[in-house]
This record gives sequence, C-alpha cells and structure tokens, in this order.
Amino acid sequence: MLKGQQSWVFANRPMIVSTGVTGGPFEANGNLANDFDLLYEDLWLEQDSYEKAQRVLLEDAIDITLKKANMQKEQIDFLFTGDLINQITPSSFAARTAQIPYFGLFGACSTSMEGLALASFVVNYHGAKNVLTGASSHNAATEKQFRYPTEYGGQKPPTAQWTVTGAGVALVRENQAGQRLPVITSATIGKVVDMGLTDPFNMGGAMAPAAADTIKAHFRDLALDPSYYDLIVTGDLGRVGHDTASELLKKSGITMQHGQFQDCGLLIYKDDQPVQAGASGAGCSATVLYGHLLNQMKQGHYKRILLVATGALLSPLSFQQKESIPCIAHAVAIEMND
Amino acid sequence: MANKQNMTHEQQQYQQLQQKHEKKRPVLKNCIKAFFIGGLICTVGQAISYFYIYFFNFTEQSVGNPTVATMVFLSMLLTGFGVYDRLGQFAGAGSAVPVTGFGNAVISAAIEHRTEGFVLGVGGNMFKLAGSVLLFGVFAAFVVALIKTLLVIWGVL
Amino acid sequence: MNWIRFIIALIILAGLTSCTDKQQAKDSRLALMKTTDPKPIVTDGKAGSDQAEKIKHKVSSFPEIYDVAVVKGKKGTLVAYKVKHLQRFNMKKIEQKMTKKLEDEFPKENFTVSSDYKIFLEVVRLNEKMHSGSISDRQADKRFNEIVEMTEDMK
Repeated sequence: MLKGQQSWVFANRPMIVSTGVTGGPFEANGNLANDFDLLYEDLWLEQDSYEKAQRVLLEDAIDITLKKANMQKEQIDFLFTGDLINQITPSSFAARTAQIPYFGLFGACSTSMEGLALASFVVNYHGAKNVLTGASSHNAATEKQFRYPTEYGGQKPPTAQWTVTGAGVALVRENQAGQRLPVITSATIGKVVDMGLTDPFNMGGAMAPAAADTIKAHFRDLALDPSYYDLIVTGDLGRVGHDTASELLKKSGITMQHGQFQDCGLLIYKDDQPVQAGASGAGCSATVLYGHLLNQMKQGHYKRILLVATGALLSPLSFQQKESIPCIAHAVAIEMND
Repeated sequence: MANKQNMTHEQQQYQQLQQKHEKKRPVLKNCIKAFFIGGLICTVGQAISYFYIYFFNFTEQSVGNPTVATMVFLSMLLTGFGVYDRLGQFAGAGSAVPVTGFGNAVISAAIEHRTEGFVLGVGGNMFKLAGSVLLFGVFAAFVVALIKTLLVIWGVL
Repeated sequence: MNWIRFIIALIILAGLTSCTDKQQAKDSRLALMKTTDPKPIVTDGKAGSDQAEKIKHKVSSFPEIYDVAVVKGKKGTLVAYKVKHLQRFNMKKIEQKMTKKLEDEFPKENFTVSSDYKIFLEVVRLNEKMHSGSISDRQADKRFNEIVEMTEDMK
C-alpha cells in the first residue's frame, strides 16, 4: 500500500526464506568472509572472461539460495536481477541458465534494493509466491566498464572505491505465520538526485545526498524516527559519502546514535586492504545484506534494520562528456518475524 | 552542468559541505614517493643502458632505443604479473612518467581486452590509453620541428 | 607490498655486488664510473707520443672536463673525454670550443672529438690491449679506425 509520497508498506510482510552469497578472493580476505556461502580463490572462476565469471557468481548464488530453501527452479515465479555491465548481460545470461521468468533491472549499485522492493511488492499483492532477487558485480568486469584497464598503473585518489566481486540473491516468499525469518515491512523508492559532482573517483560524495534524501523521505512517509531501527545501513557510500550523508541528515534534524548508522562499503573489507574510501558495486549491498546483516538478525543482534542502497547512474560516456553524476537510493526495511 | 555558474545554490552549498569530508590527495607525500620510485626506475634504465654500452656496440647516442625496448619489456612483465598497478598506486607519477608507464598503458589495455579476440579486442583496444600519447607526442614533435626549421631558415638559430 | 620491497632490495643488492666484484679488475670495467686517466696511445707506429701527450695536456686544461683519452692513429687523432655532470647541458658548445682550439694549436692534425662514454670506453679498452701486448699495431690501428667510424655514425 502506498504511504506518503514514495513509500510502500507491505501489510502481508513477505519474508526472506533463504539467501545465497558468493564472493571472490579479495572478499575472502575481508572482514565478512564467514558470511559468504561460497568464496572463490580465483578471480576468473575458471571461466575465460571476467564477464562470464560474474555470470557464474550469480548462477551459483541462485543455486545456493534454492538449495537452502529446498526448492527447484521451476517453483520460482520471477527473477529480479541487475548489474553494471553493458546491457546487464551477466544477469540476463544467468536468467537464461535458470529459465525463470525474468525482470532485468538497472539501478547501478542500488539494484539490490530496487529488486528487493519490487519482489516484495509483487509477493505482497499475490503477484507471485516465490520470487528470487539479487545483484552481482565483479571487480575486473565492472572496472573495465567504468575505469581504466585493471592493470593500468594509474594512481587512484583516496576517495576512490573498490568494486566488490560477489553476488547476493534472496528468495522472497509470502508470509507463513510461525516462521522465525526476516520479513520486509516497507520500502521507499528514491528520486534521482544530482548535486553536480563530476568526479567518477568520488562516487560516495556524489551519492550521499541521494541516500540522505531517501532516508528523510522514508521517515517522513512512514512517520517514524531513526530510533525505530536498530541499524540504518547505506549501500556503498564509502568513508567520504558516509560522513557526508551523516552530516546532511544531522542538518535536517535526523540524529542517530553512535554505531547506528553504518555502511556496507565500510563493513565488508578490513582496514588494511587497499580499497581507498571503501567498497562499491552492485554486489556490495547485496552480499553484505543477504550475508552478514541477515545472519546478524537471525542471531538476534538486530531486530529492525533499514537498508539504503545507493547508485550512481552514470555511464563512461556521460562522464567523458562532462555530465554530472545523477544518483539514486532505495530503502527497504527488514524486521525479524517473531 | 559541470560549469560552476550553472549550478543551483543548493548544489554549490552541498559541494562545500561534501568537500569537508573529501579526503585530499597527500600531494607532498605523493611527490616524494614519485621522486624516489621514478628515480629508481631511471636508475634501472641507466644500468641497462650501461649494460648495452659495455657489451654491445651501442654508443651513448644510440643506446636509447634498446634501453627503451628493454624497459617496456620489463614493464610488460610486471604488468602481466599484476605488480605494476600496485607500484602505480604507490608511486603515482613516479611510475607513470617513465617509459615504463607508457608500456604499462599499452599492455594493460591489451590484457584487458584479450577476451574480445586478437583483432577487435587486443588490436582495437591496445592503444586506447596510449593512443593519445602517441598522437599528441607526434604532433608536438611536428610542431617543434616546424618551429625549429623556420627559425633556422630565418637565420635566428 | 612487502615482498615487492624485498624484490626491489634484492635487485639493488645484486647490482651492487656485481659492481664491487673483482675490485682490482681492469680499468675498463669501471671506465664509466671513475676517472681512469689513460695514457695517450699511438697506433701509427711512428714516434708521436710527445705530440699525443701535448694534446692530452691541452684538452685536460678545459675546466668542464675531468677525464681525457687520446689516440693518435695513422689517419688522425681521436680525443675522447668526459664532461662534468653539471656541464653536460653545454656539451655541444664544449665540443665546438675544443675542436676549434685543437685545430688552432695543431693545424696539421686531423681531429675527431667525442664526449661519448662508449668511445671513451673503447679507447680505454684499446689502451689496455696495447699495453698487455695482446694486439698488434696493425690490429690496433684497424680498431682505431672502427672507433672513429662509430663517432661518425652518431652525426
């Protein structure tokens, strides 16, 4: 049901039955290695291109999700996925393998929450019983799209971010009472915000206002205040963007307790990994939410979280043509079902 | 949009706020690192050119060609083994300005697009970074040569 | 990053040891790094070493120069020298000045002047071979002509 200007409240509380999270070697050395279901030692994943490797990441995440839920592909009604590669081929090719009716999404790094919001909406209104949603990114494949060649020895500034190699997939199902699982209660769809930043090596700074805008809209639409959530997590703002968003929110009167406002891009890697300002990529929020954060919820550390995935909607062409970077953020609220 | 005048007041205000949180490049530290790593690379280059002078029939004038070829070859190996980009992150201009940086730009693009085949991938993309170096380098050389020729004709030089 | 540093250190170390190896080896090994100050040589067989000595003395009087080697052959005289590092920007001028001065002083000689390290090195090598007697005068003169040719290639 639409509430306020841009939020949905899911009265039927669709639940996340199972998740599958895959990652690469760099994630294996990271902070959250234990929360991945499958970690590859090799960036190639035994494929002959990085694009194929990304497809395999997503395919494996789908397989793991289904296996954990004890389901067959035929029982899934829809698949909502997206990524950052040209024409989102890894997602589409994985959908070809999976043979599940498929919606291809593009929301840059916000794809994970765009997919989860849409999947929850469809399930909430009985458009489907079981829906898979997820997002993937591969460091080498994505950097090839947006930046210099991977092996090019250019110096990245301290505001640059590291694209996550990984895929996170979740199975969303109609609520069945009595199961202690995370449920999706509401979602806020963001507007495109452009503050005129043009530096593709400072995505966090560009995306921060979009995140702040969506968080403000969420609290306004649902008439809530931050204390309702145990944790408010942004997608991949990195250090620069996260600090900026924090200040923006404070300025508009949304204050949070210490440690209540987190960022997936800061959680996933260790401090000594050479990631500059933090992690980014469509797989960043997907792997951290579907892996680490949901595990923490199931263990009872958090009861209610709000995940705000942010995306920079630029293309290599647009920034070469000196266009500024438009950004978007989608928020999804997840609670533990008691 | 990138134009400062065209920005709305809100955008300007935000950029000021954002700049506070933006980490600045440590320019001095980067310069020092670039100086030493760049110097180290040039020392290796000097050693190689002495090697060619000692053991082959190259004079100081002609030794440049084999030295450059060797340095590019070395940077190719380092790029292929995934070392050069880390060196580049550490040293910045120190590893980008010597000819090894040019080699790295060519080889990294070639490696990157290997999956698209030899003709359209490697051949078509090899010079996507280094191409502009070649183009503007040749053009600048042409302009300088033109100026010098004219000066010589007019008797200035 | 640690192992990269290690490898770099290793390369430097290897470079250093190979340089200090066989310290008392022939001068030609280190001809590019230190002042060797070789004796002038004469390959045309006739007694002309006084002349060569004079030429060397003349050239050495240039303040921009720190090491001079002179070879007097049948066809001419080769003067190789090293320019002090901070004067290397003026190399062309020094060469012109020197050629002019030498031609003024010794109008009968046919000079080839070079500041190239390679030429210097070859002269030192030739010097050593002649002193050790492993090369005949004819061979030496042939080698001298080759070195002169090498300088012509550069122009």
